[in-house]
Parts: sequence; C-alpha cells; structure tokens
Amino acid sequence: MSNQRQASSASQTPHLSPAELSYLYTSLSLPRAPIRPDGRSPTQFRPLSAESNILPGTNGSARIGFADGTQAIVGVKAEVERTNLATDTLASQSDVNDSEEHQGSAAVSGHGSWVQMSIEIPGFRDDDALPVFLSEMMRESLVGSVTEGSGKADAADAAEMAGGLKGRLVINKRWHWRLYIDVLLLSQPLSYPLPLLSLTTHLALLSTKLPKLKSQGEEDPFFDDDWAVAEYLYPRISSQKTKLPSQYVRPPVTLLVISVGENVIFDPNREEIAVADAVLAISLTRDSEAGSLKLLSIRTIDPPSRLTQPAVPNSENVNMLGAPAPTEDIAVLNPVTGEEEVPGVWRPRRGGIKRSVIANMVQTVLKKGGVGEDVLEGLEGVEVE
Amino acid sequence: MAITILPPVVEDLGLRRTDYDESMSDDDSDVEMGGVDISGASRPSKRPRLGDKKIGEGIVIPGEVITADTQYMRSWHLYEPFVHFNHCYCRWNIPKDKQIDVRYPLRARYQPEIGDLVVGRIVEVQGKRWKVDVAAPLLAQLPLSAINLPGGILRRRTSADELQIRTFFSEGDLVVAEVQSVHQDGSASLHTRSLKYGKLRNGVFLAVTGTGGNGASNSSTKGGIGSGSSGADTSNGGGGGVVRSRRQVWTIDAHNGGGQVDVILGVNGYIWISKHADGAEAASSTTESVSITRMEEMVSSSIYSSQNDEIPPQTRREIARLAQCIRVLVQGGQRVDEDTLMATYEASGQVDLEVGDDDYDEDGAHEGRGYLEGAKARRILELAMQLK
Amino acid sequence: MNDRRRVNGPPGGTRPPVYASLLETGTGAGDRSQRQRQPAELRKICMHDDNLSAPAYQTNLWHFRTSVLKTGLIPSASGSSYLEFEPSASLTAARANPKSLIPPSSALKLACTVHGPKPLPRSAAFSPNLVLTTHVKYAPFAARKRKGHVRDSSERDLGVHLETALRGAIIAERWPKSGLDITITILEAEDDRWWGDAPDSHDASWGMMNVLAGCISAASAAIADAHIDCLDLVAGGVAALVSNDSTNSSSSAPRLMLDADPAEHRSIVSACVVAYMPARDEITELWLKGDSSKASLAAGDQRTGHEALIDGAVDAARGAYTVLAEAVRESLQRAFDQS
Repeated sequence: MSNQRQASSASQTPHLSPAELSYLYTSLSLPRAPIRPDGRSPTQFRPLSAESNILPGTNGSARIGFADGTQAIVGVKAEVERTNLATDTLASQSDVNDSEEHQGSAAVSGHGSWVQMSIEIPGFRDDDALPVFLSEMMRESLVGSVTEGSGKADAADAAEMAGGLKGRLVINKRWHWRLYIDVLLLSQPLSYPLPLLSLTTHLALLSTKLPKLKSQGEEDPFFDDDWAVAEYLYPRISSQKTKLPSQYVRPPVTLLVISVGENVIFDPNREEIAVADAVLAISLTRDSEAGSLKLLSIRTIDPPSRLTQPAVPNSENVNMLGAPAPTEDIAVLNPVTGEEEVPGVWRPRRGGIKRSVIANMVQTVLKKGGVGEDVLEGLEGVEVE
Repeated sequence: MAITILPPVVEDLGLRRTDYDESMSDDDSDVEMGGVDISGASRPSKRPRLGDKKIGEGIVIPGEVITADTQYMRSWHLYEPFVHFNHCYCRWNIPKDKQIDVRYPLRARYQPEIGDLVVGRIVEVQGKRWKVDVAAPLLAQLPLSAINLPGGILRRRTSADELQIRTFFSEGDLVVAEVQSVHQDGSASLHTRSLKYGKLRNGVFLAVTGTGGNGASNSSTKGGIGSGSSGADTSNGGGGGVVRSRRQVWTIDAHNGGGQVDVILGVNGYIWISKHADGAEAASSTTESVSITRMEEMVSSSIYSSQNDEIPPQTRREIARLAQCIRVLVQGGQRVDEDTLMATYEASGQVDLEVGDDDYDEDGAHEGRGYLEGAKARRILELAMQLK
Repeated sequence: MNDRRRVNGPPGGTRPPVYASLLETGTGAGDRSQRQRQPAELRKICMHDDNLSAPAYQTNLWHFRTSVLKTGLIPSASGSSYLEFEPSASLTAARANPKSLIPPSSALKLACTVHGPKPLPRSAAFSPNLVLTTHVKYAPFAARKRKGHVRDSSERDLGVHLETALRGAIIAERWPKSGLDITITILEAEDDRWWGDAPDSHDASWGMMNVLAGCISAASAAIADAHIDCLDLVAGGVAALVSNDSTNSSSSAPRLMLDADPAEHRSIVSACVVAYMPARDEITELWLKGDSSKASLAAGDQRTGHEALIDGAVDAARGAYTVLAEAVRESLQRAFDQS
C-alpha cells in the first residue's frame, strides 16, 4: 500500500510478475490485432451503466457504474456569489475612463476559479497526487473549453454559451454563479479512474439546471423559484427545432489512451496500463462551428511500466547455470522503444514517446468516425432526465 | 461502436443476485449447483422462524437466537446461549447428537488446509522466507528451505542462498505451491518441493471472488472464495469460485489452432492459464537416455526462469478466451472447476458460431468478438449448463 | 453583520494603486510590453562565469538581459542547479527606470536541489527501481499573489508533471531500494498575464507552463550534477498560439510563438509544454491545453494545430538543451578541476 501511495498518478498498479508483464506486452503489441486480456477490441470500452439526475439536492448529478462494480457519483451544486470587483482594479479604472476596451472583462468573460472541482477516491487523501492531478486535468478542459466562437455562432442557443462554461456563470457584472463539482468514487478504483470520472462529470453537467433569472441588468439577482422553468447550464435545442447535434454545446470528455507497441488502446484496465509505453489523457469536445471534434488538452500520465521489476533472461539467470544450454537468446531491437530486448524478457520502459506515436494516438481519437465521436454519441444517447 | 452505455438496471443494488436468479431460473441446475441457500437468502420469506426449537437447518444472521435449549452442545461461531454472532449468512442444523453445527457461511475467505494447491503472489521477501498473498486473511509463508534448489541439489540452505533469495522469487512473482502446514493462527506455510510447483510464466493470472458473481473478477487482492468447509460437501460454498476438487491442474486442447493450454485452478481462487509447458514433455521424451536425477535437473532448471517462451497469437487468443469463460462463470454465480470450465469453453465456441454470421463486417472481423458479456455471456452459460 | 464601531479595511486584499495615467498609451511603463523577438526566437540563455560575485552577477544579468543555468550552487545537496530566464526587454527597462509600481512583466528564477540517492526508509516496501519524489514550491513572494507555505493544488500538479518528465530519463534500475528527492523552489514565477489586463483576460495559468519548462530543465541539470545515470538530458520547452491583435479576433488567427511570455501577448489561445530528450528524439512529458484548432500556419503547412504546437515546443526545448548541455559540461569541468 505504501508504495502505491508514494508513486503518483497512474502508477497505482499491483505488482505484476515480469513474466506476466512480458506476456501482456507482447499480446497487446501484436501488430494490428492486439489481444487484450479480456478479449475486447482495441477501441472497445467496457460497458457502462449510466443515469443522471439522481440526487434531488443538487443542481445536477449523474452516476456511472462499470460492470466490475466501480461506480462514480457526481453532484453539481451552484451558488450565487458576489463578483469581487476589488480584485479588478484596472477594469474599474477603465470604467471611469470610459474606455471600452477594458470594460469589466472579468465580469463578462467569467473566471476559471468559479468552477471548483473536488474528487474523492477511497484510500487516497485529498492532497494526494492522484486526486489533485485528476481534478486539475478535468477542470482545465472544462473551463478551457471556451474562448472561440464568441459572436459567430448563429443559433441563439449557442450564443448563450458564447463564453463557454465560464461565461455562462456570469449573472451580471456584480454577481455570478459558483459551481461546485464534487466527484465521489464509491470504491477503490480497479483501474485508472479518469475515464469513469470524466464521463460521469460530463453527464452531471449536462443535467445541471440553474434557476431562471427574474431580475434584469445590474440589479441584485433574484430567481424564479419554479424549478420547472429552470434553465439548463448547457442549453439544449428545444425539441421543435430540427435536432442538430453539432449545435449542442457539450461539456468536454477526457479519454484515457495508451499505446503499446504500435497499437493504440482505449479504456485500458489496470493490467493493460501496467505495460503501456505511453499513457495520454486526451480531452476533447465537439466544435460547435465545424461540427467535428476539437482537442482541448493532452496530458501525459506517468506510465507505471517504468517502475516495474525487470525479468532476468535465462542466459543470465544464476539458477540456470547448470542447465542444458538454452537456445541462444538474440537481443532484438524493439522498433518502438529503440531498446535492445531479448524476446520474452520484460524490461521496464525507459525514455519517452516519439512524436509520431502521439500524433497517431490523437488522430485515432479525433478522426471522423473515430473513438471520440463514438463516445460523444454514446453519451448523447443517455437519456438525461 | 466503441462504447456501450446501458440504462441503469432498476434492481441495481442486487445486480449480481438478479443475474444469478435469471440464470438459475433458465435451467434447473440450481439444485445440483448448490444454489438453494442463496435463493433462500434472497427471499427472506423462506427464513425459518428460529425462536422455536424446531430441528433442521436454515439461515441465521448474527444475533439471532438459534435455540434456548441448553441441552445442545455449542460449536464454533456460537455465543453462549446459542446466539449466532459471526457471519452474515450461515447454515445451521441440529443433528440428533444434540450439537449445533454451523456450516461455513456463503461468503468465506479462503482458509488454507494442508494439501491445497494454491497460486500465490510474492508480496514480501524476508531473510529466509517469502511472504505470499494467497487470498487468505493472513499472508502465507514460503520458507527458503521449502523450495527446490536449481538442479535438484539436495543440501542444507546456506547463507549464500539467503543472500540471493531474490533470484529464486522476487516481489510480484507468481508461484504455484502446496500448503504444507497450517499454523495456529490460520496462516499457511507453503512448499514447492515438486516439479509441478514453482514460478509461473507464459500466461495470464486471474483472481476470482467466491461469492457467486461478485463481478470483481479482476480484483487481485481482495476476495476469498466460496470453498466449502470440506470438499466432500458439494452443496457447500454456494456461489461461484474454485472449490477443492479432484483435478486442479489440467491441459486443454484449445480450439482454433491454439495448441495446448494449461489451466491451474488454485484452491484459493487464484487462477493461472498458460501455454502448455512442453519442457516437461521434452524431458520425459528423453527419459530413456537420461537418468531420473538428470531429468529432474533438466526440468527444474526452468523453474526459476522469468523469461517467456514464444507464444503464437492463436494460443494467446485462446488463453484470453478461457479467462473470459471463467469470468462468465463467476458472474453467473457458477462454480469454477474442470467440468464447468470445459463446458463453458465449448459453449463459447458454439455461441461464436451462432452470432458470427450476424455481425461479420469485413473491416472489423474480430471487432470485440472476444469480449464476452451481457446477453452473450448469458447465452454461453445457458449452453454450458446444457452441455454439462 | 457589519461592524459599525470602527472603520474596516476593504474586504478583499489590497494591491498597489495603479493610476489612470498609466493606462493611457504612450507613457511606456503602463503599456503591455511587446514581444520583440521573432516568433521562433527564444529568450536568451547564456552561461556566467563562476568567479562573478553575486552583486556583480546581478548587475550583469540585468545589464545583459541574459539568463542563467548554473549547477552545483547548493553544497549540502548532492546536486543542484539554478535557472533564470531572461526577463523581457521591457522589464529590464522598467526596473532601470521605474514608472509604475507594477513591472510590466516578470522573470523566472528557480533553484533546484537533488538529495540522494539515499536508502528508502525501513518502512517502505522493496522497490527494484529508484523511487523519485518531486516537490515544487513557490516561494511566498514568487508571484504577485502571495502563496501560502503549504503546497496548493497547482504546485502539486506541477510536481506530478515534473515527476513524469524526469522518470522517463532516469535509469531507475541502477539504484534499487533507494530514493531520490528533487525539490524546486521558485523564487520568481512567470506571470499568467500582463498585470494591466483585467484579471481574467487570459485566465488559465499559462505562466505555470513556462515555470514547468524551467523546472524540467533545471531538474535535469541538477540530476546530472548529482551524477545520477540518465538516458539523456531532458529539456523543457514551451510553445503557444497567441493572438496579439486587440482589434478583431476573427480576422487574425492565432500565431505560433516559441517560448511565449504571457505578459507580452494579449491572449494565449493554446499552449504546450514538452519535456524532450534530443538525443533520442522522444518526449517524456507533454502538457497541451487550449484550443489549437485555429492556428494560422505557414502556407503549405499540412500539420494540424496541435502537431504544430508540439513541434514548436520541441524546437524550444532543443534551444534550451544547448544551454543545458553547456551547464552540465561546465559542472563536470569544475569537478575535474577540483579533483
């Protein structure tokens, strides 16, 4: 346990024996047809069960469970908060100067710190590396899914979402919403929990509603207390209009992708991560203008294969010295890692990732009809309420 | 489609139980599978009224008074005036000799017994022994004196052996071993003094939990298995998992050109599926020319190897399929032994043929075909039970 | 509940006043500093003589606007390094002739110490590899906003990034059962934006990415200084897609800049840090964020935005590598001279 704690991020893997690691690695790196230990295809996800709006005390919530019993619950709460103009010296100054340029840009564009995210994983302290890293990773893509599209979007609904999530939280120049996203994992994760948490957060945000604002302009805000007229945080296109999924503004999704040999593998389980050459977390969302997918962030995650125990080739094994001479082990050059390896002998991974591998992984996620689209479509299929 | 997102199951709390009931009601195998007590457990109406002195058997929960009659002799897990206190679900009966006999509960941790064949993972290396995780409450120990030295040399272990203890087994290594003795506190002492035992390679590891389809078939640390108190009592243990049986190790002729595959079912619920080790065969084929001791030498030389042989993709695919079959069995709440596993393996081949024609598209010929879950798993289980 | 008995201070924190005159263009000090380098030009990094005394070295530094990577400065550690990025031209000018309390941009100064390899504590489990722990800490005075003494989430985040970056380079199996502590103290951190901008004009912590790149290079130098086996030196590099024009964002697509100083640009659309090993042409750490889909690249450039960004960051890292290699060579030379 203690070595799980000190090792960060993805490296919370069980000790696997070198023989297992070697077997897994060679199975997963078979050219074009990797054999995963549970028989899935490289891009296949484990089946999930999902529901949203399960917690009445929240503005939005969702639950996703894997078949192996790991479940995540996300509750989204929104609170009204005064926008602290004191921090905004220059902006208020420029108001005095009537210069349009600076005019209250914080109050208009919103602030990333208005979205707070906390992740609780059993067995980890709040300030352990894993929860911190995960929440930063997800928050970053969430508040980052902004910037473009302002003003250019045609649909009125999309215009509402102009400033992205941050902009949506602005009530007026003096007030804003503060969003608390609390993620709870119900059991100790059996694999790296990122995809589970990200998908659940996505659904919870989709189901999040904010009370309808009744005040106008710069008044102190007051709201309609009828929950039925509350508005979605991520506005929907009403059912009368033609359903154009491309116009939905959607929260981002973060996918966990590993590369083993030349293969790119999605939704890896713990054993698969343990032998990965590279682990990437890729956040993406739909580009509301182009209708395609766009990349929001990439982060490398430390592949735990660097920390594993190396195997001893038979030729060097002191316990086999008296043995009949083994067939000559010829070290071959692994084309991907650039290291000399004896087949069947596990070596911990060293070094980094080639740029072409990264490009290939991102391409597999983003390409038309690729995995990213599949996942987003699957999530759109979940009945929200 | 890369991702399947299902609507929530309404009976979500009892997900595995639901599965269990469905699979059970599909065929009538529940009696022979010893499933009675589980279905009894899930239907509280069947619970016997325990206050009266009726002799029989049933399920008691902690704190329940079995009898107030002081004529009965007390047994383990019982508290003075026959209040049961230990386990959540438990069968009891009162035979004629006036002893209350509490059977093992449905969810049992693995309790080592002498002679058990177990698969374990080395978690700690100490001066003269290894500590081995065998899914029991306590770590088992494997003393340095209880292993074969390479080459089959028979001698006392020296401090030189102690110094290079990691060259035999190191942290994370998997071993197959036998329980040599059980200590007072329930921890086991293992030995590998046979050619059958030693370090495992060329395959995959799988840990099953014993409670009839807990689903967490991948959990590598938790989970005891539902082995009964004694191998003779087949109705014991209830749910899935490995039970003590005649054969824990056997070789399968795999389909689809997979060659021969070894399966080792550890009594503790840890399972190893690997390519058939032909080293032993090669050695035995040359027995004529080699003396007995020499043969031992040859075979045991590979005991401490951590280098995998070359394994063709077909074999790997079949090994993955076998692992899937075990998961299907566990999720279906079935016992894992040679019969059930072989039947499931056959059935999975048949089901593949059935569905093979439907979703055969040229680009994704094997797109996720190997992944057995949901409806496919149920179908396989159904077939397997018929085959059996 | 208001306290009516006494005059209370303002509820929030206070900040030095900024006078309206500064906001008018032309006064100089209040202006956003403009990037004077070419898009592909890195901030200058050069070596300093060992025998320069500290004050002289500082004046030198500001005079020549160079930055430093030095190793072996902290004798108690088994390896150490000190890194400084060249402050932008405007900062130097502003410091020489201060017109405002707020300097227009900031520099990066950080110190890295390496302790180890040392035996793991008795309680720790066996590890066949070197166990790496990284701590990144901002000094309380490092940024404009005071940081507490307890590491906050962004500092922990940086620590994880740094660990990922270094672990790929260290040959960990050479040091079984031992641990290596890497501690980075950031003395002056890069800003996330020009302070004259409203607090959120570019809201994401872009400065953090520059800090990370610096951390990576410094840590790599310190590890080499501690004589720990590694595959290659790891250099950090940053590239960003920036849009400078305040006029109309739609007309000008963001352009690729290497080693972008956030204070010099109106808005950063997307940025990327890499930890790069030049000899192997491999990336050990990649952190890209922001929307990179709308980059304007040179005509005929077929790369997508993120690829261009990564390539840019790698180029920046290559630049940093030259300095890094020089510093490491110098530290070795010193070791030889002393022996």
